[in-house]
Amino acid sequence: MLERMVPSSIVDKTELVLITGANGFVGSKVVEVLLAQGFTRLRCLVRSARNLSALRGLADSFAADVQILQGNLLDREKCRRAVKDVSLILHLAAGTGKSFAGCFMDSVVATRNLLDAALEETNLKRFVTVSSLAVHSNVHIRRGDLLDETCDIESDHMGRFDPYCFGKIKQDELVMAYGKEHRLPFAIVRPGVVYGPGKKQLTGRVGIDTFGIFLHLGGSNQLPMIFVDNCAEAIVLAGIVEGVDGEVFIAVDDDLPTSRKFLHMYKKNVRHFHSIYFPYRVFYFMCWLWEKYSKWSEGQLPPVFNRRFCAAYWQGQRYSNRKLKERTGWSPRVPFEEATQRYFGFINT
Amino acid sequence: MGVCDHEELMARQLAERFGVQDSFADLGAFLATCRPDVVHITTPPQSHYAVAKQCLQAHCHLYVEKPFTINSQEAEQLIGIAETAGCKITVGHETQFQPVARDMRQLIHAGYLGGAPVHMESIYCYDFSDESYAKALLGDSNHWARRLPGGLLQNIISHGIGKIVEYLQDENVTVLAHGFTSRFLETIEEPDIVDELRVIISDSHRTTAYFTFSSQISPALHQFRVYGPKNSLIADHVHQTLTRVPRKTFKSYLNQFIPPFSDAKQNFAGGCRNISRFLRNDFHSEYGIHFLINSFYRSVSENIPLPVTYRDILMTSRIMDDIFNQVQTSRLAANKRVG
Repeated sequence: MLERMVPSSIVDKTELVLITGANGFVGSKVVEVLLAQGFTRLRCLVRSARNLSALRGLADSFAADVQILQGNLLDREKCRRAVKDVSLILHLAAGTGKSFAGCFMDSVVATRNLLDAALEETNLKRFVTVSSLAVHSNVHIRRGDLLDETCDIESDHMGRFDPYCFGKIKQDELVMAYGKEHRLPFAIVRPGVVYGPGKKQLTGRVGIDTFGIFLHLGGSNQLPMIFVDNCAEAIVLAGIVEGVDGEVFIAVDDDLPTSRKFLHMYKKNVRHFHSIYFPYRVFYFMCWLWEKYSKWSEGQLPPVFNRRFCAAYWQGQRYSNRKLKERTGWSPRVPFEEATQRYFGFINT
Repeated sequence: MGVCDHEELMARQLAERFGVQDSFADLGAFLATCRPDVVHITTPPQSHYAVAKQCLQAHCHLYVEKPFTINSQEAEQLIGIAETAGCKITVGHETQFQPVARDMRQLIHAGYLGGAPVHMESIYCYDFSDESYAKALLGDSNHWARRLPGGLLQNIISHGIGKIVEYLQDENVTVLAHGFTSRFLETIEEPDIVDELRVIISDSHRTTAYFTFSSQISPALHQFRVYGPKNSLIADHVHQTLTRVPRKTFKSYLNQFIPPFSDAKQNFAGGCRNISRFLRNDFHSEYGIHFLINSFYRSVSENIPLPVTYRDILMTSRIMDDIFNQVQTSRLAANKRVG
């Protein structure tokens, strides 16, 4: 891992690195990448003391000092303990529930507490927060256009009705505000759809099974996917590479499949199921109807299907990882064929 | 209108999302600036008493989310303060105002049971795979629900107990409670959460009730059954159906042939009624809350009786106190035996 030439690193491998959400799908992979890269002092913050065997196993297999600290970022004292003497913070913990309040609290309030604690640390060289490609809005760009770091951020939160997206947008705003007001060195990574061993669910960007039958919605859209190993490496590089303070990076792999291709591969390699293809414009119209009904019925059906959400997920854009590559030296080490083999292999076990 | 949360960021995001002009992190500032007529208290239960008291002293009517308070002593004091201040106060027992509960109430008041209830059964199940609450509780060893005197039970069971209390004949009740930790929670190393509860309640008029709270029953039921001397009723809060169980019997095998079709007819009619309500925009998932809030506001503005009586609030509180005392006592005794 990370064997290629890396631009100068601002963090020495003996310096202490904090990873929040260390026991999560991407977090545990970030820990693995750091250890494989030769970092010898890690502090892993986990919310729950359950299911730590994999993390402990990782720690045992490398000659490194890996502390596992259990705590909730809503506890300011825990945040202070977590960041003490730390040089690099890789912040992956996030709110992923279905409520706006819950996502906001676990993403934004938690990040605020961590940032406040980080400001007191004189050793800190960079604060990396992991956001999401989902924060971008494509309402003002056409189908097939490029979506990159310069594109708009979603501004109509209730119109989009996506609590996770709301939490991530506000988290990014907060980190940028701390960067500006307190000169906190930061970087933001916005991965696309992270997939790989550890996650079985088929991404909603391919389609949905809400109504009892799988509706294939992506068609020929490019899927903004990134294999979990590649994503973890991107996050680590965003943390250690010199000269990227204040930067935002979208992280997607190179050889992006179309939704149709990925669905076909999934059916062939995992299990066959029936699906109905819905052209984008048809589903957009249905979302418009749903939105109208939701408003007319005063929320009897909440606007979970709406035009902004439909556009964000299924309008179909091109995605670029050029900035991430040019500025950090990253490139996706695991190619698509191998990534999908490992992914489908995991689902089938 | 204004919103207040001691965590300023939470207050601000709520105000932003709903277009509310004023957000506050200090309750005193909120009350002094907004001077609300009604305050909705949706904070964790441990803070209900203090927050409610301050609001009542500012002469605000109060809608307090369940559980009302953490014990009956606080409940009594709050109601006393409300009455002294000339303010009204209610609790968010919204399941008692869902369509099926209102239909049941109407029938019972019309005499369908044929007399006072003989026995009631309230089942309230809890799903640990529910992302909204359960996973948050299990994933956080410091979650506020764990720190309630009655733990997880205290945050939930007022829904089920409140339904029973409404139809008890008097306040002289006997409570027998048995609570324990399910095998599921023991296997995931959460032995301190009591997630199974069985309660027997009886009043001095010999109306009895069973209350069951379970995280292990599948499917997760929310049902309330009222058995009368003549007829009975079954309210299913999940499916929003009300089933009448009449005394009518048939001769011989006809008693096994005809009633299933009658039940099917009722279920079909119930489904049609639900669809009809949905088509009339009268079937919101939070219908109970809407109705309860509107009823409370009308009670305040038109000076009509409260939707949830103080008698019911206090009885629910006292029964819950009794339950938690018994559960705690038996767990301490069990720990001593093991120790």
